Amino acid sequence: MLRPPVGRASVVAAAVSVLLVVAIVLGSRGLRDFDSALVPYAVASVFLAFGVVYRYMVWVSAPAARRLFREGWRSALSWENLKRSPTALPKMIATYLGFQKFLGARSHARWAAHQLIFWGCLLAAAITFPLTWGWFTFTSSSAAGPGYEMRLWGLKLFGFDSGSFLGWALYHGLDLAAVMVIGGVGYFLWRRVRDRAATTGQRFGYDFVPLLALLTISVTGLLLTFSEMFLHGGGYEFLAILHMASVVLTLVYLPFGKFFHIVQRPAAVGMQLFKYTARRKGSDAEELQACRRCGQPIDTVAAVDNLRATMRDLRLGFDEWAEYCPRCKRVLRGSAYLATVKRGFK
Amino acid sequence: MLGRTIFIDPGRCIGCQACVSACRECDSHRGKSMIHLDYPDEGHTVASLPTVCMHCEDPVAPCAEVCPADAILITADGVVQEADPTRCIGCANCVNACPFGVPKIDLDAKLQMKCNLCYDRTSYGLAPMCATVCPTGALFYGTVEELQAERPGVDVSTMFAFGATTVSTGVAMVVPSDRRTPVPGGMLNLIEVNGRPTPGNGAEA
Repeated sequence: MLRPPVGRASVVAAAVSVLLVVAIVLGSRGLRDFDSALVPYAVASVFLAFGVVYRYMVWVSAPAARRLFREGWRSALSWENLKRSPTALPKMIATYLGFQKFLGARSHARWAAHQLIFWGCLLAAAITFPLTWGWFTFTSSSAAGPGYEMRLWGLKLFGFDSGSFLGWALYHGLDLAAVMVIGGVGYFLWRRVRDRAATTGQRFGYDFVPLLALLTISVTGLLLTFSEMFLHGGGYEFLAILHMASVVLTLVYLPFGKFFHIVQRPAAVGMQLFKYTARRKGSDAEELQACRRCGQPIDTVAAVDNLRATMRDLRLGFDEWAEYCPRCKRVLRGSAYLATVKRGFK
Repeated sequence: MLGRTIFIDPGRCIGCQACVSACRECDSHRGKSMIHLDYPDEGHTVASLPTVCMHCEDPVAPCAEVCPADAILITADGVVQEADPTRCIGCANCVNACPFGVPKIDLDAKLQMKCNLCYDRTSYGLAPMCATVCPTGALFYGTVEELQAERPGVDVSTMFAFGATTVSTGVAMVVPSDRRTPVPGGMLNLIEVNGRPTPGNGAEA
């Protein structure tokens, strides 16, 4: 069995973390725009970068993932594929990663709830990370006026009126994200308690903790706004620490639990592109592997070859069976049982 | 050492499809049957073969080994679970690697599904749906001792030969008591069954 490349993974992960620190220092103009109150968030994001890269490196070093990773990137970066079907990759990214069409095929309710969590988290991440790294700053355009300017790396992006809808939306972006996430998480928590399909084999650490973490972050975040608007800031400091602790713990946990699917899921695009491009190369008859017994198509020739190579890597000595469809494999086994174990099933 | 598991005896199977219907009722994959019922010599004999997941022990779960997304979990009790829907990317590696032809795939949902030994039942000590309804005992759930107490003179095998490789499994098949060699997992060069040629070996299309 291959050993995971712990040393190499640690070095690459450390290098990425150092790069992130450098980017934070440079992006916040030598820490001039860096908000020291947000240090724990920034530190957690550096840990997150280390954890994600480390786990990713270990993951793609396993035989099956490594081969698919290579084929996926080869298809994505192939100039020939780009020329032949330039829209294939962007379309797959939009349908698989953005709108998650496959989830709709599993259940419409789960798709809706997951979309709420997905877009809510994406919005929150797009706001939080640049803010805590000191990349986004807001400066007033005049001493008296309601005008504000949003800057990225010190450069003005656009100006807006703080009393306008855009101003309101910008300052309540995280509240909007929290409302979306709470909606989605609420449905999934209900499902985890009531749905027998979901409760079979579910584990607290894997299935509940991520939902509870998202819920804690969203609720404490909303309570901060509530404290500011209705309690004149009462309990704000305690809530801020509670919110910070929940975010930091979640970010540090992200690479090791269910949340790692965020990093793994793009492999679906690589896999799909690999099969799609193989199919487009020639006629279906040439590029589809037909079952050696019944002639039904099994998969693309390239995918079956890739699988057989993976099986040989893993020393699974029956890769020849991959050229038979599942039904023929069962029928062959049934026939052999009939012919040699219990002759005529007597 | 075999614990409580499924014992398959194709010699007793009458192809009634009760197991297929019962499997559909399982809560973890409602409406979809994970058991396969095949007629290996259709049109000539009534022989039928039910196939549940064999829960391979050595090599441990080839389906899980070839999964690029680490989606297939094997629980401590040796049960190979169906793909974790969070992780499964629908690549079909498991479907094509399984030598027994067990996993199913929904390409639209990008999700693999397979028999999980009715984990919602067996983890609470209940028999799986298929074995509960099987009228002839072709699917028997229990221990070897319980099986042999009911059926004197039978033995079971958990060794299956695929070419030069032997796969040992957590689910067993009933064999005659004098059999010591592994059960053939299927002979790719099998040219005749019950005296008639197989497809590709002179059988009529």
